[in-house]
Amino acid sequence: MSPRKPNEEPVLELKNIHKSFGDRQILRGVSFNVYAGEMLGLIGPSGCGKSTILKIICGLLEPDEGEVIKRSDEIGLVFQGSALLNSLTVRENLAIALQRRKLSKTEENRIISERLKMVGLEGYEEYSPTKLSGGQQKRTSFARAIVNDPKIILYDEPTTGLDPVMSTIIEDYMIELEQKLQAACIVVTHQYSTWTRAGDRILLMHAGKIVWEGTPEEGINSEDQYMKQFAHATREGPMLAGAFEG
Amino acid sequence: MTTSAPRDKRLPNPYRMVEDQFAIGVQLLGQVLILWFQTLSYMVRGQIDLKETVRQAYMIGVLSFVVVGITALFTGFAMSLQISRELVQFGADTAIGGVVSLALVREIGPITAGVIVAGRVGSSVAAELTTMMITEQIDALKVMRVDPVKFLVVPRYTAALVMIPTLSVYAMFIGLIAGIVIAQGAANVPPDTFMDSVKQTILDRDFSVHFLKSIINATLIIMFSCAIGLHTRGGAEDVGIATTRTIVWTMISIFILNFVVTSLTYAPR
Ligand SMILES: Nc1ncnc2c1ncn2[C@@H]1O[C@H](COP(=O)(O)OP(=O)(O)OP(=O)(O)O)[C@@H](O)[C@H]1O
Ligand SMILES: [Mg+2]
Repeated sequence: MSPRKPNEEPVLELKNIHKSFGDRQILRGVSFNVYAGEMLGLIGPSGCGKSTILKIICGLLEPDEGEVIKRSDEIGLVFQGSALLNSLTVRENLAIALQRRKLSKTEENRIISERLKMVGLEGYEEYSPTKLSGGQQKRTSFARAIVNDPKIILYDEPTTGLDPVMSTIIEDYMIELEQKLQAACIVVTHQYSTWTRAGDRILLMHAGKIVWEGTPEEGINSEDQYMKQFAHATREGPMLAGAFEG
Repeated sequence: MTTSAPRDKRLPNPYRMVEDQFAIGVQLLGQVLILWFQTLSYMVRGQIDLKETVRQAYMIGVLSFVVVGITALFTGFAMSLQISRELVQFGADTAIGGVVSLALVREIGPITAGVIVAGRVGSSVAAELTTMMITEQIDALKVMRVDPVKFLVVPRYTAALVMIPTLSVYAMFIGLIAGIVIAQGAANVPPDTFMDSVKQTILDRDFSVHFLKSIINATLIIMFSCAIGLHTRGGAEDVGIATTRTIVWTMISIFILNFVVTSLTYAPR
């Protein structure tokens, strides 16, 4: 994380976000800020609304209440399920994100090759996403999300389904991009190595609210009942109590 | 399961069901109209992806030629057989060509092509777009600030506007060939006599109406399938539901609007 200037404005601000699907209340007042050059780790049990928060940030969902303030329009999102366009090739999937910049063909191809090389997918340009493995799709999705050098980068489970070596490589790229682009980043992850290595600040969600906040080191050593249970992956604690009983 | 909501045990209220269906229908028609205007506004500004349009034209048109051909051939056979049989009884053999071609140009051509393409293309477009919705491909487009209407609907509609009229004309010709074969085989009317009668009966206006009907069909097929596809959320089972819904709505609207056009243009005065 880069040192923060006094009075620095956050690139991304969430204020008291509420969201329900039907009569199920998913988010019950979520507020946080993300600054330039900072990686926020958003963790929490499955189904607690992490992906929903990311979708609200990039405008795919409207919050029922509350406000999102973005100080940049250039947003990259790595979808949990990759969300590659299956009718296009890998190259075209990146090209379509570049479309609005109206670059020359050579410039476009240069950027695409560079990004694919970064995620270890050079030579896969003309592949259909359906012919890639899950991890390769994830990396293509990663390359596509960052192709425009976004100032806000949202990663939804970027390392799930990757082998440990590739996870480390992707985590390193996330840290590098955060610094290089001075981007405000959020990583949603269940993977211990990802939030401990890449996260500058961790938010733990439970039942539609943020129940703990701190650095990864603080998280690992925390005595907070929620964070302790999550960091140590135990059954004993307030989370999911009774979820799999009866 | 203990977690699911208690099932409503009351009998369905028929009045409520009709009311719900009506509301859903009105909502869909609104979505179709909005989508159509959005699509047209891209098209008049010339924002059409040619490469994708050609690919869609292949999927919509070229791959439908065989099915439309076979359908038109057998519809033509059956219809010509009925017409020949009746006209021969009245000694009006020479009018067979005229009556068969009237039916083909005015009604059978557009309807056959429309219904077959609705079944083949409407269903696959609805399935494709619904799948793209539930796998978040459409969301990915929006995040990349690519309008799904421009990217997905415009090329499909442009391709359909070219291919569906072409398929209609083709269906009409195949039907005519079927007519010639039947007239010769079942009523001993030589092809020349048949064609003379066709030329005397068919007016230019018939071709304009034929064209109008096939443009309407293209619009109904693409707009219903895309509007339904782009508004479906949920899981894999919703792909099937969206497909069925598309077929039902397009078929019904093709038949209704076909009648509206016929009654506006051919009603006896
Ligand atoms: N479009 C939607 N319509 C209805 N319910 C939804 C919708 N999207 C999400 N939900 C519900 O909202 C809840 C939160 O979903 P979300 O995808 O945000 O969870 P998550 O925290 O990302 O979980 P995971 O870690 O498993 O990815 C889930 O219970 C889900 O069923
Ligand atoms: Mg999620």
